[in-house]
Amino acid sequence: MAEPPAPRGEAHAARTDDAPHQDIDWQAIEASPEFQELVNRRRSFVLPATIFFLVWYMGFILLTAYAKDFMSERVYEGLTVGYCLALTQFVMVLVLGLMYLSRSAKVYDPLAAKAIERWAHLDTDAARAGRAETSRAATTTNEEPAR
Amino acid sequence: MIVFAEINTLAVVVFSIILAITLVITYWASKRARSTAEFYAAGRGITGFQNGLAISGDYLSAASFLGIAGLIYLYGFDGFLYSIGFLVAFLTVMFLLAERMRNAGKFTIADVLSFRLNERPARVAAALGTLNVAAFYLIAQMVGAGVLIEKLVGIDFTLSVLITGTFMLTYVVFGGMLATTWVQIVKAVMLMTGIVVMSVFVLNKVGFNPIELFNRAEAAGKAKESTFSLGPGTFLKNPIDTVSLGLALVLGTAGLPHILMRFFTVPDAKAARSSVVTAMFIIGFFYLLTTTIGFGARAILGQEGVEAAGKGGNLAAPNLAENLGGGVGTTGGDLFLAIIAGVAFATILAVVAGLVLSASSAVAHDVWSSIIRKGRDSDREEVLAAKVAALTIGAIAMAIAIIGGSALNVSFMVGLAFAIAASANFPALLLALTWRRFNTTGAVTGVLFGVVSALGLIIISPIVWGGVPGAPDTGAFTWYDLNNPGLISIPLGFIGCVLGTLLSKERETERSFHELYVRSETGLGAERALAEH
Repeated sequence: MAEPPAPRGEAHAARTDDAPHQDIDWQAIEASPEFQELVNRRRSFVLPATIFFLVWYMGFILLTAYAKDFMSERVYEGLTVGYCLALTQFVMVLVLGLMYLSRSAKVYDPLAAKAIERWAHLDTDAARAGRAETSRAATTTNEEPAR
Repeated sequence: MIVFAEINTLAVVVFSIILAITLVITYWASKRARSTAEFYAAGRGITGFQNGLAISGDYLSAASFLGIAGLIYLYGFDGFLYSIGFLVAFLTVMFLLAERMRNAGKFTIADVLSFRLNERPARVAAALGTLNVAAFYLIAQMVGAGVLIEKLVGIDFTLSVLITGTFMLTYVVFGGMLATTWVQIVKAVMLMTGIVVMSVFVLNKVGFNPIELFNRAEAAGKAKESTFSLGPGTFLKNPIDTVSLGLALVLGTAGLPHILMRFFTVPDAKAARSSVVTAMFIIGFFYLLTTTIGFGARAILGQEGVEAAGKGGNLAAPNLAENLGGGVGTTGGDLFLAIIAGVAFATILAVVAGLVLSASSAVAHDVWSSIIRKGRDSDREEVLAAKVAALTIGAIAMAIAIIGGSALNVSFMVGLAFAIAASANFPALLLALTWRRFNTTGAVTGVLFGVVSALGLIIISPIVWGGVPGAPDTGAFTWYDLNNPGLISIPLGFIGCVLGTLLSKERETERSFHELYVRSETGLGAERALAEH
């Protein structure tokens, strides 16, 4: 096949993809126990983790701002309390990052796949292309695109 | 006037090699920058690891490399505070936005907002936020580039800005996101190599004992007139301003359009997530080493090096490299200085290219294609519009940088960009993705509150009215002494979103929330990667 038409054709398909996925029942997925489990399990980690890192970080900032003497105290020779606390921020970022990565792979990704299992066939490239065709043909659709 | 005798030939050679590499990349990428998905999002074919490197390349600006190392050299602990804030910010990005953006968005921040909100006002609001952030950040980087290249290579400021701008536009216009991404990756590798090699040299001088480095830095910091301290308070003197800065740093990254745009270049949410963690490791390691460079400069260059380090200590790192290589006038010294100068130059090029691309996408995709042409334009026309937008934005930024010259304060403008990002973009994005009740009026008032309050407060701040950064000086009013507006403008951004939403009768956005919610959490219906062709 000649090179030029291919990218343009694909790009065109990507554009018509702007049409909403009318055949997917988003409300049903949202109400499904699988989706609810996904959202709840993810939130039960992300929410406490977010609160923890914001408190730990802003606590460090507040100490830096208001407890200058404490932060300047020596732990060992030139190493100050402030630097030790600063290093804990690095550890926190890496530990939380890795924890979230492993939880996502083990728990959230499988749950997400389960939640959309019944609908995934409507979201393949072929289904999208077909939908673009029908939506262009069916000009009588009364539903205005939501976006 | 250019005085040829003062030109650092070795540096020119290093710069030329870097530019040659980036031009090869651009030529290779130029064949794959035809459609909008290719131009804005590199066909969504960048891997998680590559994107992690590119995020690092996009994020670690010259302000990070030279600026923070300089601040640590001059003030010690307070400079390191920036490193911490810039790094922890990636937790905000990872937990709240990265995957959701990838699943819900297409090319710009506005795509996420307009998904369920009234398209035209939502896009205008988002484009306003994006352009404000990109403009201040871009001009700051351009001025920084001019000052640095002038000092390090001996090329005149105006010419330096023109060279930087021309290459930045070449990458973006001919190579789109693919070229920009690979310039960022190459730069990230160069920057990391540069800072690691310098750190090894520094640590070698103290027998690879970090505590010894702390001790020597402290001893050198006891010199007369030194501002260096291992404890806080030498640079950030006003406590409430420190808190305000800390808040703007940790939330600002989650509103930077050029960083968020990077999540549209990967195939799926999983890759977006892994790219954030990769970036955390690279950026974390980098910021950890800023201490080695800053303390190393203090221990080795001492108080005598302060004058040569220039305003804000920006030249402390290059001067340290020269010293580590053997000193002024030696071949090793010249070579090491030239290499570090080249790394700094590559750093600036990669950051400005990312910024121009994000700004031109806001103009072409949101304003031109969606609002003016109402989506009736062809894909090809939108790419053309984006290229015209990039050229225009680039030309304006170069003009302002040249006219304003080195009188423009770089760190002030970067601070402003972060404050606007945290106050205008972040609240609207977060609430659009998570709050069912959120509506168009809320988004528009939120962005307006954020932009106006951040801009207004900066205008009356002490730093604009002649105060020294970080010093408890007064600005336009004696009762207002914050240099960073974050503590006030970020809550105002959220309040604007909530008030606007609750006061408006618009409720239909709740219906389309189902799709956005499911899509952002699961990736069903998300934009796909283009097949390899």
